Amino acid sequence: MALPVKYNLRNLIVRKGSTLATAFTIGLTVAVFLMVMALARGIDLTLSSSGEPLNVIVVRAGSTAELNSSLSRENFNDLIYLDGVEREGEKPLATGEIITLIYKPRKGMSQGSNVTVRGVGPMSFKLRSGFQMASGRQFQPGLTEAVVSKRISERFQGLDIGDKFRIQTTDYTVVGIFESAGKAFESEIWVDVNSLSSTTKRDSFSSALLRAKDQNALAALSKRITDDPKLRLKALSERTFYEDQQGTASGALKGLAVFISFIMAVGAGFAGMNTMYAAVSRRTKEIGTLRVLGFGRFSILAAFLLESVAVALIGAVIGILLAMPLNFISTGTSNWVTFSEIAFNFRVTPDLIISALLFGAIIGFVGSLLPSIRASRLRIVEALRA
Amino acid sequence: MRFAKLILKNVLRNKRRTLLTVSSLVVSLFLIISLATILTEFERGTDEANPLRVVTRHSVSLGFLLPISDLQRIQTVPGVKAVMPFTWFGGIYKDEKNFFANFAADPKKLREIYPEMKMSDAHWQAFIADRQGAVVGEKLVKLYGFTPGQRITLKSPIYNQEIEFIVRGVYTGGDEKTLFFQHEYLNELAPEWARDHAGLFSMLANSPDDVPRIAKAIDSMFANTDAPTKTESEREFAMSFQTMMGGVKQFLYGIMGAITFSLLLVMGNTMAMTVRERTKEVGTLKALGFKRHTIAGLFLGEAILLAVIGAAIGITAAAVVFRSVDMSLYIPNFVSFVPETETLIAAFVLSIFVGIVSVIYSTYRVTGLTIAEALRSTE
Repeated sequence: MALPVKYNLRNLIVRKGSTLATAFTIGLTVAVFLMVMALARGIDLTLSSSGEPLNVIVVRAGSTAELNSSLSRENFNDLIYLDGVEREGEKPLATGEIITLIYKPRKGMSQGSNVTVRGVGPMSFKLRSGFQMASGRQFQPGLTEAVVSKRISERFQGLDIGDKFRIQTTDYTVVGIFESAGKAFESEIWVDVNSLSSTTKRDSFSSALLRAKDQNALAALSKRITDDPKLRLKALSERTFYEDQQGTASGALKGLAVFISFIMAVGAGFAGMNTMYAAVSRRTKEIGTLRVLGFGRFSILAAFLLESVAVALIGAVIGILLAMPLNFISTGTSNWVTFSEIAFNFRVTPDLIISALLFGAIIGFVGSLLPSIRASRLRIVEALRA
Repeated sequence: MRFAKLILKNVLRNKRRTLLTVSSLVVSLFLIISLATILTEFERGTDEANPLRVVTRHSVSLGFLLPISDLQRIQTVPGVKAVMPFTWFGGIYKDEKNFFANFAADPKKLREIYPEMKMSDAHWQAFIADRQGAVVGEKLVKLYGFTPGQRITLKSPIYNQEIEFIVRGVYTGGDEKTLFFQHEYLNELAPEWARDHAGLFSMLANSPDDVPRIAKAIDSMFANTDAPTKTESEREFAMSFQTMMGGVKQFLYGIMGAITFSLLLVMGNTMAMTVRERTKEVGTLKALGFKRHTIAGLFLGEAILLAVIGAAIGITAAAVVFRSVDMSLYIPNFVSFVPETETLIAAFVLSIFVGIVSVIYSTYRVTGLTIAEALRSTE
């Protein structure tokens, strides 16, 4: 026969100080776990959402990023008329882009970071969904004007509408602020590709972006370009390209999350054990009475475990509530492949919340296992005499 | 000290509870020390920067190269003792997981500009004599078993190139996880866009007072060229790398704060249980004529004793573990991973602080009861 749940809840309320302290300890552990995981998730989501499913990106063979890639205009003109490239009317849906970096101080600091500048053509906007102007206007082709992503404009000095910044020896004027639904381009500044080409005295593109007709065409196109020994280029789906970049930063963060939360969980587990041992010894007589009333050993075991898991779940909920506001914080770090800034948001996603609850429950369960077994093994006579 | 024995007896009264509390303290302190050591490592670049060393880079970005011809002009700046090209090759050894830094430099100048690198004269001579030669740090030897004479191939995605080097020496001191090779050799093999270019110029000034003037002279020299420069002391250069990491430092401080707070809760909860259970005893002691502050002192002593035991074990464990297992071998960019003495002292102070704070409230309540109230307690 199982003990009523009400019994457990009443017990928790009676020793509310202790319950809260234990719950908070577990809560902080869960919160730290969530915080670090949310950071890693933010990077993952930013990069993995950045690729369009049918886009093919072409870079120099061996390049890991667009920055250190190069592709001649002749090669580009060969690529865009290949079979499998989607067309809009007569024009192929394809664009050649140039990437460069500028060094900008962060707001409120004298030191800064590199920001990616992307030279784009008219097709660039058709190849990427989610791009929209937040304020100001689009740059005019041929002029040294720029549009800046909202996150970058918020995080760096001198990148508001009307400001000027310098690329090599040319000044560009910021004329608009854009958003792109949380994608990697929200860490960039966009300018006209031909202006950037003359500014940087560079004739070749950094990369090319092509829209494939369908999934089969995408695979065939990628293979055809990569396998052509004359081209010495590498083509892959844009989605894979961005997913490959997230490796290091988010991997290191996940490692850190596991290390820190495991040690904190051990600490919290010891604390939970202490609380439960105290609860068992204080309620020894009570346990004896329950046994006399006919509740079995297993009921006692289950009751104590349940009580502890309940405390842990309260703790996990506290932890989740502590971590939730992070969803609104955007932050940035450097992409160590390109030495440029990636801006992203902390993302506390539903699956992370579920793992946080589970994590809390496991701490509660493991921490209370020994004390609960002890409670269930008490002998009736001795328990009553205590 | 009259009560030392009583405090000790009290600590040992519930051995299991003491063990669990101390264990909780130990793991938390271990974690705090680990995180503090990570922070120390982040700051090492600026803390240990050589005040005589100056770095010139492209003013736009590290991603752009500078013409190697700049070197001759930099050499003419008064106060510059020695200058060499210094280029990040980004080569990968066999697999991307084997990350270590590798730079092309001038072997004849390297020794002068980086005096912290220690290597035998024979090794230096062998390195200088071999175009294909490379020198590696002691830690790379530990990680990959490099030996002098061995051929190593590094594949650089930046240069889209595989270059084979012959190990000519092993150095100690400085960052021991770096490989240096000849800049001339890189220049020979580099693709057209990178030929006759360098990533950085690294130089040594005659005196630290010259550094700002040198930086200004170099930057104005190249201001109106296609490749304008930004020249900084090594310290400022390292600092710009730190800011590139963004909010990582604040984030770590936040986590350390959370751990400290949860430690306070753990200790507070334990001490509250301990003190409450002894309410009746407090009544007895009071009836025997013990003053409130004496009884409070007993509880305080007990909490401090627990904190001291926990701190002693946690700090010793961290010091021993990180001294015997060199974590820096496995963490990219970390030169070493040994907790500083300051960190250990801070952890000790923190532990005592947690011990004291944790016991204040429950002691205040229980010792404030009258004799009758305390004796009537059902705890």
